[in-house]
Amino acid sequence: MKRILVNILLMLLAFTIQNGVFPLLPFLSASPNLLLILTFSFGFIHGQEPGMWYGLFAGILLDLFYSGPFGFYTLLFVYIGYLNGICTRYYYEDYITLPLALSLVNEVIYNLYIYVFRFLIRNRLDFFYYFREIIVPEMIFTTVTTLLIYRFFLFTNRRIEEMDNRRD
Amino acid sequence: MESNRSKYILIGLTAVCILLIGITSFKDGFLEPLRTSMGYFLIPVQSGVNRAGTSLYNSMRSYTTFKSALDENNQLKAQIDALTEENTRLRSGQFELERLRDLYQLDQDYQQYEKIGARVIAKDSGDWFQVFRVNKGSADGVRVDANVIAGGGLVGIVTDVGANYATVRSIIDDVSRVSGMAPQSGDTCIVAGDLTLFSEGRLRITGIRKDGDIKDGDQIVTSNISSKFLPGLLIGYATDVTTDNTRLTKSGYLVPVAQFSSLQEVLIITQIKDDQFTGDEPAEGAGS
Repeated sequence: MKRILVNILLMLLAFTIQNGVFPLLPFLSASPNLLLILTFSFGFIHGQEPGMWYGLFAGILLDLFYSGPFGFYTLLFVYIGYLNGICTRYYYEDYITLPLALSLVNEVIYNLYIYVFRFLIRNRLDFFYYFREIIVPEMIFTTVTTLLIYRFFLFTNRRIEEMDNRRD
Repeated sequence: MESNRSKYILIGLTAVCILLIGITSFKDGFLEPLRTSMGYFLIPVQSGVNRAGTSLYNSMRSYTTFKSALDENNQLKAQIDALTEENTRLRSGQFELERLRDLYQLDQDYQQYEKIGARVIAKDSGDWFQVFRVNKGSADGVRVDANVIAGGGLVGIVTDVGANYATVRSIIDDVSRVSGMAPQSGDTCIVAGDLTLFSEGRLRITGIRKDGDIKDGDQIVTSNISSKFLPGLLIGYATDVTTDNTRLTKSGYLVPVAQFSSLQEVLIITQIKDDQFTGDEPAEGAGS
């Protein structure tokens, strides 16, 4: 129970920081995608089904922010939570290489999804321009941030689990 | 067993999402109540974090300027030290005054339209879309399709309104299309946002008639024939106008007047274009 509450609070915090603080910093040419990091980390740590629910909430938050078709981000984030949950069998503590690789892959999937469904269908064919100017910077920022956040997130989740177990 | 269950849930969620995407693509606004109620909860949080972030950033910036000033002040007397500090404080007040004066000036320029000031509280953090959110909503008289101006020119249009927030799509967003014209000749054109031109700070102009009189440096304002934008709002200045390969039309680029990288306050025109067709007065106090 506590785990769910804390994680929802963390998600809301990440969402508001991502939209309210990062765009204010002019020296950030691109900004890390915090919600994506949290979703895939959660899926990776806790497995397919929890990851899927986490992705559902994160996606709904994003969909509420944008005025486009509702469900666009929810669909993607549900899948990101689920697919990263599959990798949970390779999960063990203090293992950072796989999360970093996953973060790269997820970031590529996320941006390709947006490119294909929001730009390519409107006949914007210059993929390499978008790749160079948008996808690569965001990928770098997100991966670096993963390095910082993943540990913290793992630590928080483990602490909550310990507290829950002690009570039982 | 476990994995089968989650597979079914996944399939179910996928179907629901696709259904929702389908429905909302054709009939937007059906989830309006949900978005609005979420807004009641999220907007205070967003405003708070935004304010905290802004003050943190400002204090960080004043800290760095203070440090560089300190090196110089080491040789100066304590009196000058105090004076400098006071000066810094006054100057930041001065900057704010200038910014607000500019906004007020703009208010005078476009006096015929009723408008309200709003503060930008959140922006899309990725680079794909140029969308931001302001802290005024339908409770303050903002409606969908309201035009947004700042810094002397058109900024964007409201695409989505909740009770206490509104989402604005900038004219530099890739899907944005504004019908514009050159006021001196009345020639119309389309001003389109383009992500590939965004880093150069330019927009694309297309569809100028071959013998149309739009030259480099001409003012472009919103046109009379636009269905969403009120006429006569300054958008920017045309540059690099050339004849297209087809020899039927000309196209070029536009340098916008509004500064999109540093938007903090904007003005929202509460009158919308539709009012001019339905009646001459905007429906005042309709919601109260």
